[in-house]
Amino acid sequence: MDSQCVSILPRVCGVLLVSGSSLPDDTSLEKLLDWFTTIAQTGTSLLEACPCLVDFVSKVAFDYTSGSSILSFTLKLTGLIGASEDGFKVLKECSVLKLVFNPQHWQEAGLWEDPCLRIGWIQGLKMILKHSEALSFFAQADLIEPLLQLQTDSSLFVASAANQTLAQVLVLCQSPSSVGHNGSKNRDLEHNSLSMESTQNYSGIITKVSDYLNKSVVLKEISQLPGSQQILRLLAMLLVRVGPPLRDTLLLAVINSLEELVSTSCSQLTVPLLDVILAANSGLRDDCVPKQRLIRLLWVMLNMKKPVDVMQAAAAVLRSHQSDPALSAHSARVLLLPLDIVTGVSLLDENSTEEELRILITEQLKRKSCISMICLCLSNIPQITLMASDCLPCPQRLIVTAILLLLRLCCVDSSSSSAGCVEVVRFITGNSKVQKCALEALLVLSKSPGVKMVLVEVFKVLTEYLNSHSSDPSVLQKSYQAVIKWVGVCPDLSCITDQLREGFIQAVRKRACDTRWEARDSTVEFLGHLVGAPSCWAFTEQEMEPSDVLLGGRSFTVPLLKEALQDPESYVRASSISALAQTLTPSWQDGTALTQEQEDIVTQLQEVLFQDSEGFARRAAVKYFIAWFSACSSPSSCWLLMQSVPTVLSQGVADLDWEVKLHTLELAELVLDRAFSDPSPSHPYAVMSDQDHRLPIAGQQSDLLSSLKNLVDWGVVSALLCGVVDCDRPVALKACQLLLKLRGIVCPVMDNTADTRVFCQLAGASMMQQVRKIQEMGKDTCVVSEACSEADKEGICASVDPECVSVCEVLRVLDLDEKLSILTQSSDHIYNSPLSLLQDILTAAAASSPPGQDPRQELVMDCY
Amino acid sequence: MKLYCLSGHPTLPCNVLKFKSTTIMLDCGLDTTSVLNFLPLPLVHSPRLSKLPGWVSKDGSLNLEKRELLDLSTIDVILISNYHCMMALPYITEHTGFTGTVYATEPTLQIGRLLMEELVNFMERVPKAQSATCWKNKEIQRMLPGPLKDAVDVWTWKRCYSMQEVNSALSKVQLVGYSQKVELFGAVQVSPLSSGYSLGSSNWVIQSHHEKVSYVSGSSLLTTHPQPMDQSSLKNSDVLILTGLTQMPTANPDGMLGEFCSNLAMTIRAGGNVLVPCYSSGVIYDLLECLYQFIESANLGTTPFYFISPVANSSLEFSQIFAEWLCHNKQTKVYLPEPPFPHAELIQTNKLKHYPSIHGDFSSEFRQPCVVFTGHPSLRFGDVVHFMELWGKSSLNTVIFTEPDFSYLDALAPYQPLAMKCVYCPIDTRLNFHQVSKLLKEVQPLHVVCPEQYTQPPLTQSHRSDLMLELQPPPMPYRRCSVLNLPFRRRYERVYILPELANSLVPSEVKPGVSVATVSAVLQSKDNKHTLQSVPKAPPVAPSKKRKRVMEEPPVTMAPKPLLSGAVPLEAFLATLQKHGITEVKVEETADGHILHLQAEDTLIQLEEDGTHIVCDNNEPLRATLRDLVLRFLQKL
Repeated sequence: MDSQCVSILPRVCGVLLVSGSSLPDDTSLEKLLDWFTTIAQTGTSLLEACPCLVDFVSKVAFDYTSGSSILSFTLKLTGLIGASEDGFKVLKECSVLKLVFNPQHWQEAGLWEDPCLRIGWIQGLKMILKHSEALSFFAQADLIEPLLQLQTDSSLFVASAANQTLAQVLVLCQSPSSVGHNGSKNRDLEHNSLSMESTQNYSGIITKVSDYLNKSVVLKEISQLPGSQQILRLLAMLLVRVGPPLRDTLLLAVINSLEELVSTSCSQLTVPLLDVILAANSGLRDDCVPKQRLIRLLWVMLNMKKPVDVMQAAAAVLRSHQSDPALSAHSARVLLLPLDIVTGVSLLDENSTEEELRILITEQLKRKSCISMICLCLSNIPQITLMASDCLPCPQRLIVTAILLLLRLCCVDSSSSSAGCVEVVRFITGNSKVQKCALEALLVLSKSPGVKMVLVEVFKVLTEYLNSHSSDPSVLQKSYQAVIKWVGVCPDLSCITDQLREGFIQAVRKRACDTRWEARDSTVEFLGHLVGAPSCWAFTEQEMEPSDVLLGGRSFTVPLLKEALQDPESYVRASSISALAQTLTPSWQDGTALTQEQEDIVTQLQEVLFQDSEGFARRAAVKYFIAWFSACSSPSSCWLLMQSVPTVLSQGVADLDWEVKLHTLELAELVLDRAFSDPSPSHPYAVMSDQDHRLPIAGQQSDLLSSLKNLVDWGVVSALLCGVVDCDRPVALKACQLLLKLRGIVCPVMDNTADTRVFCQLAGASMMQQVRKIQEMGKDTCVVSEACSEADKEGICASVDPECVSVCEVLRVLDLDEKLSILTQSSDHIYNSPLSLLQDILTAAAASSPPGQDPRQELVMDCY
Repeated sequence: MKLYCLSGHPTLPCNVLKFKSTTIMLDCGLDTTSVLNFLPLPLVHSPRLSKLPGWVSKDGSLNLEKRELLDLSTIDVILISNYHCMMALPYITEHTGFTGTVYATEPTLQIGRLLMEELVNFMERVPKAQSATCWKNKEIQRMLPGPLKDAVDVWTWKRCYSMQEVNSALSKVQLVGYSQKVELFGAVQVSPLSSGYSLGSSNWVIQSHHEKVSYVSGSSLLTTHPQPMDQSSLKNSDVLILTGLTQMPTANPDGMLGEFCSNLAMTIRAGGNVLVPCYSSGVIYDLLECLYQFIESANLGTTPFYFISPVANSSLEFSQIFAEWLCHNKQTKVYLPEPPFPHAELIQTNKLKHYPSIHGDFSSEFRQPCVVFTGHPSLRFGDVVHFMELWGKSSLNTVIFTEPDFSYLDALAPYQPLAMKCVYCPIDTRLNFHQVSKLLKEVQPLHVVCPEQYTQPPLTQSHRSDLMLELQPPPMPYRRCSVLNLPFRRRYERVYILPELANSLVPSEVKPGVSVATVSAVLQSKDNKHTLQSVPKAPPVAPSKKRKRVMEEPPVTMAPKPLLSGAVPLEAFLATLQKHGITEVKVEETADGHILHLQAEDTLIQLEEDGTHIVCDNNEPLRATLRDLVLRFLQKL
């Protein structure tokens, strides 16, 4: 810990003790506590590091006059100190502990009403409960009673913290073996868990908790609903966190009450109740008695009166991946019922037990609330598809058919009608929420077995959606995703007829000209994504890319994307650039000859980089070149690419947008890596042959020299030097790392005579100045002019340019390591340091002290 | 009150309302769908069209709604709601004996005139040597081929009117402004309200002192160029006649506008031409405005837009001068040095060019690819015929239909086979069912009358129960030729009292807040206005001996008998009788009051709630005494 902090801390404690003294801002106490926590976490004893804290704690405890925030802070701090066994002892010895954690003490002082104090008490208690000593203190002081009272506190924060603390108490009360079995991740707990004999002593606590839960779970009046919900949430959490024997005890204690609660069938409690039952159920063996009762409870919930409750129960059962097959099968049937009713596709065979529910749901579907019910049904279809096929009420193909029909019913233009519930049509027609949910479900169902035969139908519906004038842009996007998903899983696209294809192409072409930019953006993105879809078999029985089959390949896509480069909306321009990169990647990989089209694109992209007013497009342009460079097997042989790189680097690094600059540096990194890996293409970990080792230094030097020259020619070095003095920290950091990398490769091999042969230009006056300044600080001699004159003699550097610097010289002179260490620190590291925090507290206290004592007070007045 | 329904077309209505001795025609729309039965009239000879199998001799091709239901000469006034709903006006006002007045707003009249001129121009520039009517005979028609055989009411199809008839008909129009009140014969007051559909479009309120009928024709709640709809003035209507809802309930105008733009851009980018068959006023302003914003963003800056119509220039110019009829946004532009509609800028920058016809300047300046707006949307006459012939063969070109009045497939029939792409983007900004049900909830009329088409879902989408009017009480549907008795009875009439007469009244309070006075007056009814005047005093008979003839005696003005009010209290009355020596009284209680039997006098006094009878035989003094005693307790008015 900083010695300066240690010296200031007693004064800070003094300031905090003076009640009413103002703090710089209301988070400073939190920050202080965070700092203490970090100290404690590093393993150093908090008391050893800051001995003044005990004094502070005891002073506050005996003096009520401190403000509630200071009291709350003190309570938490006490917990933090007491969390270590040593600290606990010290606190116990000075009898602070008993006083601080005695609710009676605060009640008498009239401070208990303040939720701020209660939360401090609970969090302090939670922190202290890390070891057996603390637990026995907890038991002896009989703190379980007040803790239980706080479980349903009026303040939600207090109640929630109390729930957490109670769970912690119970976990501590468990026998050590069970803690291990429960897989507790808290090492402290495992380490400190209690011995067998002491466990017996805490049965009182467990009994009290069980009694409390049993009593509170039952809902006596409707006004107690929030409390009841809170208790159920607590119960669910406890059941998840505690291990088997204790969990069984708790479960047995409450199961009667749970049964009673289920029978009240109160809608608001359905979800929390389900959470409890499913939490309890998840870890139980199949043959134990509570398990049977829980399963029965779930059955009761699946047969409640209100259809919405039943559907929610069914959804929860499916989500929890129940082991009971009958239960899952029934839940799936319940969830599919609305779809069955709306579309009239008989997904479910006749089952008399569901008749009543069917009538109820049909009634519900005639109201506007049908939307949420249908969406609930659709959003759970992914769970249904995960079920074993023998549990499914119908083949998945039939579900796809029903969803397709639903999608048709939702489409404004469609005139198809269903054999199902007619009244619902008015609500779902044109409803984009239902459309999106249905498309989402369709997306998931693409993986189902045996659905390939409906591909044509799917394709027709999706084309209809893409064509529809009333489709919301988000619906269009989902439709595009569905096309890609379905095309991706169907290896055989021969069923797509020319007519279907033509319709699809028309729709895509139209959407590319849509008036809404979101629609254009999705279309452009789709064109890019389609390239990535796996290959398929087309009607010609040849393996083809899906984009070739559906859209006729690049001859269709590229012109469309080139149009989009001119789009008024920057997002669309950016998307079209990335889509172009995706489209062209295969040809780059194959090393196909460049076309005029590609040259045009490069010209356009350079224009974007130079002129586009929006960062998105410029970022995408740089990424295009990154993609090209990384896809290209031998970039140096692609003249267009190598011609563009210097322009991109020089322009990109001078951009106003820091992300553009960062991407430019990524490109520089690629070029750098490629430049030095080229001569020895072996794997970095490959065994080097003896010959490699024996390579004469001169040979290495000349290779490096030529690579370095290339880098300079391509503008990589200038870009890095420009980046390292950038005012955006991430950019400077990246450039610094790359320069270090370069230095690591170049400098060990180069000697002083060689390095002067490679120069680079420094673009921009400010950059030059900065580099110069660093240079001069590092070395007083004028390296550059010397180097240049020497180089001039050798005829390498043709002109004496004051903007020229020797690369190796610069690499050596710049204190890159120091720069790196500065840059790796976050930009607010000074502002956020503990010292600054402590000083702030002191300054604020001084500023608020009575006038006359502090001359600064007048100053403040003057300023005002 | 009766409503005669002369048109079955819900958006081209023609109804006649008989209300308080006035006969008011509400709109006279012209259903021109019958032209689809004819071959296109090309301006330039088309070998292809002339080779098509057709019926050689033909009539003009316009349709007049049935009118035998009613004698058109009895119509007092015609109220026009928008320029699309006045196209049949010459058929009503000319050669029918019509002597009434037509009321319309100024833009309606001017733009309506343009549309009529255009129609006449389109027809007259391709004159037909002969006309035939015999085929309309049922016997012959039955033998005709194809759809012609099944066409109904062919006998109503008429030749197109002439310019002279148009001028004569329009000379009968009297201009009105929004909310201006026009008295019709003192019986009713009519007043147009902004309906938000097109320039100068209006709904009408027809009201007497105690009754109100609202007529809602093409209205729109969307923010387009016209002034927004005035809804609040429609409140408290006894009857609301609802016509002119959207013809495309499932096509959202915004979505359609988007479709229009994207299809247009798609075609132009591919190097094709776009043809937009449209009317020369109305939606075209919105289309041009939308394109004005769109062409920049879609990089269509260099593509020329042509608007070809005999009235193109006037239509574009007129729209700019009707500032008071525009939406607020555009009205404010009038105070800036820029025109309300952006098409002016398109014209200035040469992006939009307009020509009266394809002859002349256009043919020399024409440059492809381009976008052409021209009429007529039926594709049967007008310059559009030429462009269909010119561009129909190339699949690069697109025809985009924006007017919902004609079935685009029927319109395209004579041009088949067609390589050109066809896009149907009907833009109808009129109220949809959702909007109308909200409007009616707001306005709360007692009864709604509407075309029967609105009371059931469309035939093609019978499952869409949301595409119909559902009201409580259910709306009264009408169809062509129905006569409806509107379901309300007139119960009150307003009568005026002249000041001097009112001054002479002596009201007396019968119970707190209610005063009564008797009036003797002469009721004068003139121009449906009723006035009470004081009775003229008999002129003092001049003592003149020269009088030869005895003047007819002026009506004897006897002072009217006073009216009595109040009740006779039994106890007090008995006491008074006793005071007057009548002691032997037997009181009998009856259902309505009491009967007093004066036994000594053998007289009965019946005291009832609404009358008092004294039954005494041959004892006039006693009767008079008793009468006076009863009158003591009553109040005289």
